Amino acid sequence: MDLFEIRGGTLDVIAEEAEHQDLSRNSTIMADREARATRGVSTYQRFSVDTNESLHFEPCEDSLPSPTPPEYELDDDNVFKEGETESEIVTVRNQLQGKVAEMENFAGHLEEIFLTVEENFGRQEQHLEQHYNDVLLTLSQRYDERAAGLEEEKKGKLEALYKQLLGCGRAMDASKELIETAQKVYRSQDKRLFLKAVMPTIKRIEDFAKEEVVLTLSTSLEFNTPLSDMSDVKTMMDSINVVPAPSAPVINPQMPNSASQTSLRVCWSLFSDDTVEYYELYYRPVLEDTPADSTCAPPVSKVKVKETHCTVADLLPNAQYELWVTATNTTGISPASEKALYMTVPSPPVIKQRECTSCPEAALIRWESGNTNPVDSYTVDLSEMGTDGTENAITESIVAVPTCQCLIQLQTGRRYLISVRAVNIGGPSDRSEVITVSTTGTLFYLLEETAHSCLSISEDGFTILYGDEELPISAMALDDNNTFSRCVAVLGDLIPVRGRHYWEVEVDDGTEFRIGVASEETERNSYLGANNNSWCMRHILTPSRHKFEFLHNGWSPDLRITVNPVRIGVALDYERGTLSFFNVELEQHLHTFQCIFQSYVQPCFGLDNPGALTVHNGIEAPEYAFI
Amino acid sequence: MSLTQVSSNKCAGGFQKVFEHESTELKCKMKFAVYLPPKAETDKCPVLYWLSGLTCTEQNFITKAGSQVPAAEHGLIIVAPDTSPRGCNIEGEDESWDFGTGAGFYVDATEDPWKINYRMYSYITEELPRLINANFPTDPNRMSVSGHSMGGHGALICALKNPGKYKAVSAFAPICNPLQCPWGQKAFSGYLGSDRDTWEAYDATVLASSYSGPPLDVLIDQGRDDQFLSASQLLPDNLITVCSEKKIPVVFRLQPGYDHSYFFIYSFMSDHIKHHAKFLNA
Repeated sequence: MDLFEIRGGTLDVIAEEAEHQDLSRNSTIMADREARATRGVSTYQRFSVDTNESLHFEPCEDSLPSPTPPEYELDDDNVFKEGETESEIVTVRNQLQGKVAEMENFAGHLEEIFLTVEENFGRQEQHLEQHYNDVLLTLSQRYDERAAGLEEEKKGKLEALYKQLLGCGRAMDASKELIETAQKVYRSQDKRLFLKAVMPTIKRIEDFAKEEVVLTLSTSLEFNTPLSDMSDVKTMMDSINVVPAPSAPVINPQMPNSASQTSLRVCWSLFSDDTVEYYELYYRPVLEDTPADSTCAPPVSKVKVKETHCTVADLLPNAQYELWVTATNTTGISPASEKALYMTVPSPPVIKQRECTSCPEAALIRWESGNTNPVDSYTVDLSEMGTDGTENAITESIVAVPTCQCLIQLQTGRRYLISVRAVNIGGPSDRSEVITVSTTGTLFYLLEETAHSCLSISEDGFTILYGDEELPISAMALDDNNTFSRCVAVLGDLIPVRGRHYWEVEVDDGTEFRIGVASEETERNSYLGANNNSWCMRHILTPSRHKFEFLHNGWSPDLRITVNPVRIGVALDYERGTLSFFNVELEQHLHTFQCIFQSYVQPCFGLDNPGALTVHNGIEAPEYAFI
Repeated sequence: MSLTQVSSNKCAGGFQKVFEHESTELKCKMKFAVYLPPKAETDKCPVLYWLSGLTCTEQNFITKAGSQVPAAEHGLIIVAPDTSPRGCNIEGEDESWDFGTGAGFYVDATEDPWKINYRMYSYITEELPRLINANFPTDPNRMSVSGHSMGGHGALICALKNPGKYKAVSAFAPICNPLQCPWGQKAFSGYLGSDRDTWEAYDATVLASSYSGPPLDVLIDQGRDDQFLSASQLLPDNLITVCSEKKIPVVFRLQPGYDHSYFFIYSFMSDHIKHHAKFLNA
C-alpha cells in the first residue's frame, strides 16, 4: 500500500474528471463520490499534475481562501480563453479542497489499517514460532521417551538371552561332563566298576536325553513398537494453522457517570494478543429476592458487538444488572469474563409542592424518591433567579442528602429555582421538576391531615370552609389521632426555623374564628387556646356586640376593640417569644402574647360556627409588625 | 420666652430636666419636665406630651411612671407639664383637690375668676409646643399626646379637637365622658358655666361622635380594680360605644387587679411608648 501512489492516483482521477472526460474510466469509490459532488459544475479548467504552471487568478471582490496545494496546477491560458465566471472557479476550488481533506483522511485511515495489519502479522508470526517450538519440544520429548523405552527393552532382551546362554552353557557343560563320565566309564578296565557305574550312568544319559532341550529363544528378537500416541502433537500441529480461541476478556467495573436511567455503558478489554471477531455481552437484572434455584432466574439478554464497549439500553431505572462478556473468533468462544455488577441511574424524584415551606432565611423542600428501590442519596440543586426573570446557572448543590427532605439556608428577598436528583452508584438521575421558592415572607400550606372532618379546604389550599351540612356519621367515626375532633380547626405546616414569621388571615365580619399558633402536639380533642400549648385570637358574635378574646390556657385579657378586623396580621417572633395580632387595614396593633416557645409551633385556624377564612402568606412583614 | 433650668439628672442614658418659664397663656410661672433621650444629642426627636391627672405636678410622672427607659429606647422626647396654673392667688383655687389648683381639666375657662389664668387647653396645644420646638432638638411635625385620668381626658380631647396634629394618642384610665360624671360636671360648670353645650367641646365621647379627620389609633388601659371606675367617674363604655359606631379604632384593655395609681401606669408605660413610637418613628 503505497500511500503516495494513492494520492497520485486520485489526483489523476480529479484531473480527468475536471476535463469532463468519461467518468466511467475510473470506477473507484473516490471517483463516484467526487462525481456526485461536482456534477453540474462545468469548467473547462485543466488540471495537470505534470505542468509547472502555477495557479493564476484574476483579482476579485471577496477574499478567497488560500490557493490549492502545489500538486494542482492550472493551465492559465484556458482560464482566460474560455472566460468562466469567478464563482465557478471558487466553487470548484472549494470542492477540490474538500476532496484533499477527504483524501488525507482516507490516507490516514489506510495508514492505520496498514499498521494494524503489520501488528497482526507480527503477532501471528510470534504465535506460530511459539507453537512450532512447542510441537518440537513435544516431539523431542516423545523421542526421548521412546528411545529410553527401547533401551530398556533391549536391555531386558539381552539379559534374558544372556541368561539363556548361560543356561545353555551350563547344559552343555553338564552334558559334556556326562559324556566324559560315560567315556571314562566305558574306558574303565575294571569291569566290576564299569558294571557298577554303567547303569546309573546310562540312566543319567537316558534322563538327560529325555530332557527337553529348549531351543527356542527366551525372548523374541522383535522389539515392541507400540503405536505412539501422537494425537496431541497432531492437534498442536493442526492448531498452528488455526487461530486459537481467545482467552476470557476482562470486564471493567462501572465508570462513574457512564450510566443513564435506562442504559449502561459497559467496557471491557482483552489482555492478550488474541484475534477476536466479535464479542458477546450477556446481561440480566439482579433481583432483590433471587430464589435459590435458578428456575425462576430472570432471562439473560445478549448483545453482539465488535468494539470493546457497548451501551445497553431499555433497562429499568435504579436497578442492578449482572454482566459478563465472551470473545469469539473462527476457532471458538472464549470462556466468560468475571461477572460485573452495574447499576442504572435512578429515576428523578418528584418534589411535593404542597409539603414545601419557606421563610425569609430558608426553605424546606420535601420530595418523593421516585424509585421503588432505595437510592444512595439525593442532591439538591439551587439557582437564583435574576431580577429580570432569567434563570442563572446552578449556584449551589447540596450533596449526600440522606432523606427525602432538605432545609436550605437562603438569602432574603430573592427567588430561587430548586430541583432534586437521586444518586446511586451509577450516578445522578435527571433533575426533578423545578420548584420556585421566594424568600419574601413566610409561605406554608395547611396540614390537611389535621383538619377536622367538618372542614373542607379549597383547591389552592388556602381557604377553609366550615359547611352547614350535617356530617355523615361515617366521617365522624374516623378515629384519627391527628385530626381535630372537637374544635373545627386545622394546623399549618410552618417551616421549623426560629426566626420571624408573618401571615395574614382574611375573615368576614360575622366569622367566629380562632387564629393563632399551637405546638404540633397540641391536643386534638381540645379547643384552640384552651390549653397551654396554643395561643389564639378569638372572635365571638353575641347578640349585642362583637367580642374579642386572646386565649391561652383558657384565659384571655379583657379587651374591647371598636373596629372589627377583617384582615388580621399574625406576627410570630421566636427569639423574642412574642405572638402579635394586627388589624392590617388600620395597621393597628391589637394584642401581643409574651411566651416562651419551647418547641416549634404551627399556625392554627379554627371556626366556631359555619363560615370561612382565607390564609394569605408569602407576604413581607410590614414594619410595624416586629417593632 | 426664656427658660430657666430647675434641675437636670442623667437618666437611662439621657437627661431628665425640669424647666421654669413665664407663661403667656396662664399668666404665671410654670414648670414642666422634659426628658431628652440619648438620640437627642445628635438628632431631632419626636415629642410625646404627657398630661398628668388630678393633684399632680410635673414631678409625679418623672419619678413614678418609668417612662425614661422606653423613651430612651425609642428616641422620644417626653414633655410633662404641670396640671394647672400655680400661685395665681385665685379665691377658692385650693378648696378642692378636684377643682382649681392641680385640676385644670385642660380647658380654656370662660367663667370668672378662672378665665384669666385657667387656659390649660391653649397652653398645652399652642404655647408649650412652640416653646419646646424653639428650645429643644425636636421634629415639630411629629408629636403625640398621652395622659392619665384627667390627663387622659386631656389627651383624648386634644387629639380629637386637632385632627392630624397628633400622630398618636393613648390614655391611662381617662375620664372619657366628663359631661356624665361628677368630676366633669363640677369642673365644667366651674370653668365653663352652666350651658352644657359649651361643655361638649371638651368631652371626648361627644367629640368622637363627630370626629372627622385622619385615622386615629387609640390605646387605652384601664385598671379593673380602679375605685374611680366603679365610682362611675371614668365611663369608658360610653366612649367605646361611640367609637364602635363611628369606626374610630380603639383598643381598650381592662387590666385585672390594677388600680388608679402610678403603679398601674408604670406597669403599662412601655406598651404605650411603643405604641407612640410606632407612629412617631414611622
